Amino acid sequence: MLHCYWVVSVHSHQPAEPNSQPTQINYLTQIKPLLAEKCYSCHGTLKQESELRLETVELMRTGGDSGPAIKPGNPADSLLLQRISSRDDDQMPPHGEGSPLKPDQVKLLEKWIAEGCNAPAEVVPVEPADHWAFQKLVLSKRQTEKPGNPIDLLLKQKRSEAGIQTAPPASRQTLIRRLYLDLIGLPPTQSQLNDNRVIAEIIDELLNSPQHGERWARHWMDIWRYSDWYGLGEQLRNSQKHLWHWRNWIIASLNKDKGYDQMIVEMLAGDEADPESIESITGTGFLARNYYLFNRTTWLDSTIEHTSKAFLGLTMNCAKCHDHKYDPITQRDYYRLRAIFEPHQVRLDPLPDETDFDKAGLPRVFDDDINRVTYLHQRGDPESPDKTQPMTPGVPAILASFEQEIRPIKLPPSAHSPGTRPYVLASHLAKAREQIKASEKKRIEAETRRNELSSKAVANSSQDIENFEFQDDFTTLDTTKWQLTGDGWKHRTGTLSQTKSTREPQTAKLLIEPPQDFDLRCNYTTTGGNTYKSVTIRFDQTENSGYANYVYTSAHAPAPKVQAAFERDNQSVYPPEGRKSFAVTVGQPHELRFAIRGTLVNIWIDGAFIIAYQYPNRRNGFLSLSGFDATVDFDSIQIESLSKDTQLRQANEKTATTVNEAEQAVKIADSHHKATIAHERMLRSMLHSVEADQLQQLSVADRQELAEIAGQRQAEWKLALLKYEATVNASDQKKLTLITEKLKQTEKHIAQIKESPIRFTPIKGSFKALESPADKEDQYPATYSHISTGRRLAFANWVTSDQNPLTARVAVNHVWMRHFGQPLVDSTFDFGLRSPEPVHKDLLDLLAAEFINSGWSFRHLHRLIVSSQTYGLGASTATASPDNLTKDPNNEFLWRMNSRRMESQVIRDSVLFLAGELDTTMGGPSINPGPEARRRSIYFKHSRDQKNSFLEMFDNADILQCYRRSESIVPQQALALSNSRLSIEMSNQIAKKLHQQVKSPKAQDFIHATFALILARPPSDLETEVCEQYFAQMKELEQVSSDDQIRSRFVQAILNHNDFITIR
Amino acid sequence: MDTPHMSSTHQQTQPLSALQARRTFLRSATGLGGIALQALLAKDNAASATSSELPPDGRPHFKPRAKNVIWLFMRGGVSHMESFDPKPALTQYAGKSIAETPFADVQSPEKLKKVRVVVVNDANGQQRNKIYPLQVGFKKYGQSGIEVSDWFPHIGSRIDDIAVIRSMWTTDDNHGAQVQFHSGRHMLDPRVPTIGAWVNYGLGTLNENLPQFISMGPRFFDRSDGHYLGPAYDAIKLKVDPKNPLAFAKPEGNVSRAEQKLGFGLVNQLNKISGHEYPSDPALDARIKSYELAFRMQTAVPDVIRFDQETASTRKLYGLDQKQTRAFGEQLLAARRFAENGVRFIQIMHGDGAAGAWDQHSNLKAKHSELAMQVDRPIAGLLQDLKQRGMLDETLVVFATEFGRTPGSQSSNGRDHHPHGFSIWMAGGGIQGGIAHGSTDEIGFHAVETPHYVTDVHATLLHQLGLHAHRLHATGHQRLEQDIGHVIHDILG
Repeated sequence: MLHCYWVVSVHSHQPAEPNSQPTQINYLTQIKPLLAEKCYSCHGTLKQESELRLETVELMRTGGDSGPAIKPGNPADSLLLQRISSRDDDQMPPHGEGSPLKPDQVKLLEKWIAEGCNAPAEVVPVEPADHWAFQKLVLSKRQTEKPGNPIDLLLKQKRSEAGIQTAPPASRQTLIRRLYLDLIGLPPTQSQLNDNRVIAEIIDELLNSPQHGERWARHWMDIWRYSDWYGLGEQLRNSQKHLWHWRNWIIASLNKDKGYDQMIVEMLAGDEADPESIESITGTGFLARNYYLFNRTTWLDSTIEHTSKAFLGLTMNCAKCHDHKYDPITQRDYYRLRAIFEPHQVRLDPLPDETDFDKAGLPRVFDDDINRVTYLHQRGDPESPDKTQPMTPGVPAILASFEQEIRPIKLPPSAHSPGTRPYVLASHLAKAREQIKASEKKRIEAETRRNELSSKAVANSSQDIENFEFQDDFTTLDTTKWQLTGDGWKHRTGTLSQTKSTREPQTAKLLIEPPQDFDLRCNYTTTGGNTYKSVTIRFDQTENSGYANYVYTSAHAPAPKVQAAFERDNQSVYPPEGRKSFAVTVGQPHELRFAIRGTLVNIWIDGAFIIAYQYPNRRNGFLSLSGFDATVDFDSIQIESLSKDTQLRQANEKTATTVNEAEQAVKIADSHHKATIAHERMLRSMLHSVEADQLQQLSVADRQELAEIAGQRQAEWKLALLKYEATVNASDQKKLTLITEKLKQTEKHIAQIKESPIRFTPIKGSFKALESPADKEDQYPATYSHISTGRRLAFANWVTSDQNPLTARVAVNHVWMRHFGQPLVDSTFDFGLRSPEPVHKDLLDLLAAEFINSGWSFRHLHRLIVSSQTYGLGASTATASPDNLTKDPNNEFLWRMNSRRMESQVIRDSVLFLAGELDTTMGGPSINPGPEARRRSIYFKHSRDQKNSFLEMFDNADILQCYRRSESIVPQQALALSNSRLSIEMSNQIAKKLHQQVKSPKAQDFIHATFALILARPPSDLETEVCEQYFAQMKELEQVSSDDQIRSRFVQAILNHNDFITIR
Repeated sequence: MDTPHMSSTHQQTQPLSALQARRTFLRSATGLGGIALQALLAKDNAASATSSELPPDGRPHFKPRAKNVIWLFMRGGVSHMESFDPKPALTQYAGKSIAETPFADVQSPEKLKKVRVVVVNDANGQQRNKIYPLQVGFKKYGQSGIEVSDWFPHIGSRIDDIAVIRSMWTTDDNHGAQVQFHSGRHMLDPRVPTIGAWVNYGLGTLNENLPQFISMGPRFFDRSDGHYLGPAYDAIKLKVDPKNPLAFAKPEGNVSRAEQKLGFGLVNQLNKISGHEYPSDPALDARIKSYELAFRMQTAVPDVIRFDQETASTRKLYGLDQKQTRAFGEQLLAARRFAENGVRFIQIMHGDGAAGAWDQHSNLKAKHSELAMQVDRPIAGLLQDLKQRGMLDETLVVFATEFGRTPGSQSSNGRDHHPHGFSIWMAGGGIQGGIAHGSTDEIGFHAVETPHYVTDVHATLLHQLGLHAHRLHATGHQRLEQDIGHVIHDILG
């Protein structure tokens, strides 16, 4: 396997000329990779075991503690060969640290030594501590006071040293377009393109625009792995519900130019840094995003990997199972870092006016179990923890010189007991008051019902009721009453039979329409059928309306049942609450009865009540009998008006039918009502107490008393609840005994606290995400640890220390890449030993120092970069000197601007913006990513399961890892940009707008206006000619009916122009 | 079908014959055709490649045996004991606990260590101890006399073209093993490219009008393929619906073909003019080519999935005449037509639902027999059709599933997930027919004879396509030995 490390270290050297002897072994391709794979991890710069290093031939000849490793020309005397061939204890690699070399590999080495250890000149890899990226930044202010942008000063000098000419600047309009797209992610309008102010003013305006935050938030969301929650149905499995709060936090933080150091502190430890600041806590959405229901180790692995890659440019993840092979990071370092994050969990904190966490909540992290121990997982296997040695939290040893002390943090009540926040109690109180109203209504209903039943002796049947009666026992088949559809119907005396088992319509329609409320009995026998064997009585039907309510029985063998169902718009709905299992049997006569009043239906089968169900609505219409996948004999049917005396059972809950039941129902409703009142009272006094605490106007003693009153109310509420439970379970002696016992205890408790009062226990105000699928949320306590470990804060302070050599370098590299299309350090998330010193390390360091010195201000950094002449250069290579193209074809010296493709979000937003259709509303919950949406793309739901198909075509951010977007070019992009509704509709809009502006019938004028708006430049003569030809050809098409149509298609073509989706 | 503003060498009015395809392929490898685009794309994705890590150039590394792959994947977990690996001992010891049988040591902890659990305390993916008897009979088929269960009689009849591998194993005991079977890495590891993406990455195109890598049917857990290779190597998802076969295939508005042709023509003319200003912009060339391919794809893809030229007997062969087999049969017929037209990798998943339809924790007999009926005839039809057209030699067909099912019973009439031993098969593309390779123990628990991890299937497939797995890599991404696998030489013809 190829070993990246050596590739990098010999990078700048030419490989040796191939030797004329064809058999000679090539050190670089045959020997070095082998040694790298098998030996370097112990005998390389990282470990140097036995003082031996094998990374160059020179080092091998020098050898280590046991002398030289190789003797050129003398394989037998070469220690290296002896040890790799040994099968004894001194075998290399040692047992368990890699498989022994295969015989042909040993032979290869032998031959190479015999040939004299030929090798080209080699560079000795640096000591880890000397690695460029680990060197401290020089933060002293710039010494040279030469006028001009320091970026330009540096690069100009380098270009002139290298003999490379600088390209001419971009045209003003190209530069303005570039600035708009880079800084706010939207193209300039016509008037913005023609803005005459100095460029510096335009830059400031763009940097201060709220859309700047949206543009750059999307970049950081790539790097910080923004993902809305996903799971199965409503089950949360990854990330967090309402994570958009964190997205808004990113936008707002950038717009207020919050320091990057402060942003990092808030993301890693906002809850510890400022436990009472919603803003600070919202930053921890960064960590909440990594939540994974099924596996805590996977969750923490993601946290460690991406925290390290995003902020530090370190691939800590490689040290999970063993010491890092290329970087000075040990497996212990990995688990010490895990210990930093070990205590934290995720929860949703309450937001004002909402108690339902599915509707609203603030995702955040907090230290939950502060005593949880971290062990090193041997070979990365969580099943094999090394329990001999708990890991202490800490940072990688190589960068520990400025490690910050971990100090535990005492949390305020609002943090450890969110249920004591006044606004939380206020919203619970509002809900409790609604519950009181509801329980009171129920109590009144129960009382009314009792009164009705007890006065039932009073006769009341004198009122007129509709008198409908229909009966048929099929002695004859009366075709004035029945209309039969389908060929399966047979009649013989006393029976109407459906003899064909089919799913096609076979109905016996009753030509007399029953009244609205009726009582029906039908006797029939299911005689056979295919799968479902259903016998159906439909009503409320009109012809071809696709509407019906119905009741049916199914004799389907594994699960026979009775079901109330309905059909709307030809779709059948089988509500589970309208279904009961019942042994409907083929060949056995059944009586189905149902009575319907309004939307309430009661169903009886064979004389026994079985279902009460509420239809969603009713209509007038006819009734019919049929079979579905069934053959059936109908023996009789009887339908009459439903008597007002007939008491129907309510759906969902039992309605009392006797005076005793009614009396009991009143008791239950009453005790429930009392409990809701007690609940409201408790919440009210809690609110008094916490408000008093907050205002601090009352004396300490008075405040203590308020808290104790709330404690009293809390006990009284518990008592009221127990009384309610006792009433509900009055007939269950076993339960009642238990409840009575608790009642007694609670009464005793109340008596006690009257003597020596106690404060109330806070209510549960937050919603902790499940630690594993086996957990239930209600098993978690209402309050949390009063102490946070302070580990994450200490870690965050270490990350953002101005002594940390990585953080600023990694960040400015990301920013640079997004302005220039090429980073200064190619591996944006790996600044470790495999990352060679960049060509422009001086530039990187200059930017990093500027960044830190400005208070980690991104706005300052952007301004510095985009005001440079380098940034303002043209991207064209047409007039470039041939020297440039041969010496620096890849533009390493930035002698011109690089052309870049817009990111997917910028493409969509720009298309909408040009059409005047973009809705620039900011913030709020994530929206559905459908084609109708008009908001900026950053607000789309973006998760594994929800993505916008147009954005996906243009290399949308991968939610798992996206330190740098791909810029693929695939045919599906052409299809998306030419065939999507977005593109077609917006082209029509743009064409319409442009035509109104141009006010000229000439194609040429329209062509010019379109180029100006979409490409920010005038067309060349050749381009105008080609476009005019297009107009002429379009006119000749028979499919084209109007000039409007031609203009729309033309605009669409220009939207497909490579220069539109390219930032030049 | 014609394309505006293109050199005539790119115009293909007929599906390519194998020979034509080979010629185009060789010509394009020198830099003019689809390979050039491919190389440009590759360059975009690996701008920083050092000299020793250049992405593949689209040419095979050695003489290939196969040209295309049709990859059939049964989602949910097919019971190996009730398909291709008969275990009469199960019936003999039915009802006994494994501990009471002579095979008690299959459950020794040492032998179960490979499993890496994703969902802790899951209700499924557990040890099932009570031996569950075979739910179906077996018959010997063909000259080879290999036994196949009565649920797959048609596939049985093609057994002399098939190499069954009865000794597969994997490490995920949950359906994330679908990801593992496609990529070689466990769900808890970082995502890596799938086998289809590697083929797409490693080989040049055989038809400039069609995508190289197509998927049909439901997807598995992981919804992309290319991962660090980039979205250019993702499968293009197709439906067998000539009216709407792929995303944005048709204008979502009232745009006629004639207008579109003029529009595409204008775009490419203007882009070429831009080339004067940006002569060394590789993206511009690639963009122009992508529009040419897009324009051709719009008609080429629907043409392939239009079956009107297929005879009634061919349709019948794939089961298009029967309700149960029609849906899958149509995908297989489309697969043949895509293979015929030079698509490299055609991936077809069977079995809807979150976990996959073949996941019979209960009701195994009823459901497995029903699902087998949906696929048995179409798959046999595909093999027969490929053979009679002389395509089987160059088309590798793989039948796979994420894991097998437990010898013990779950919920009285089902079987649980089983990663320790299971069966898959391959046919065509230089694979030897009529052999049963490897074996599990007497109760189908562990792969014992020549066990194969899932990436051995990948290695074999790449080998038949003429690719060295070791030479496929992308800058900055390390492949493990396990990712690469070992070629199963015993089944090669």
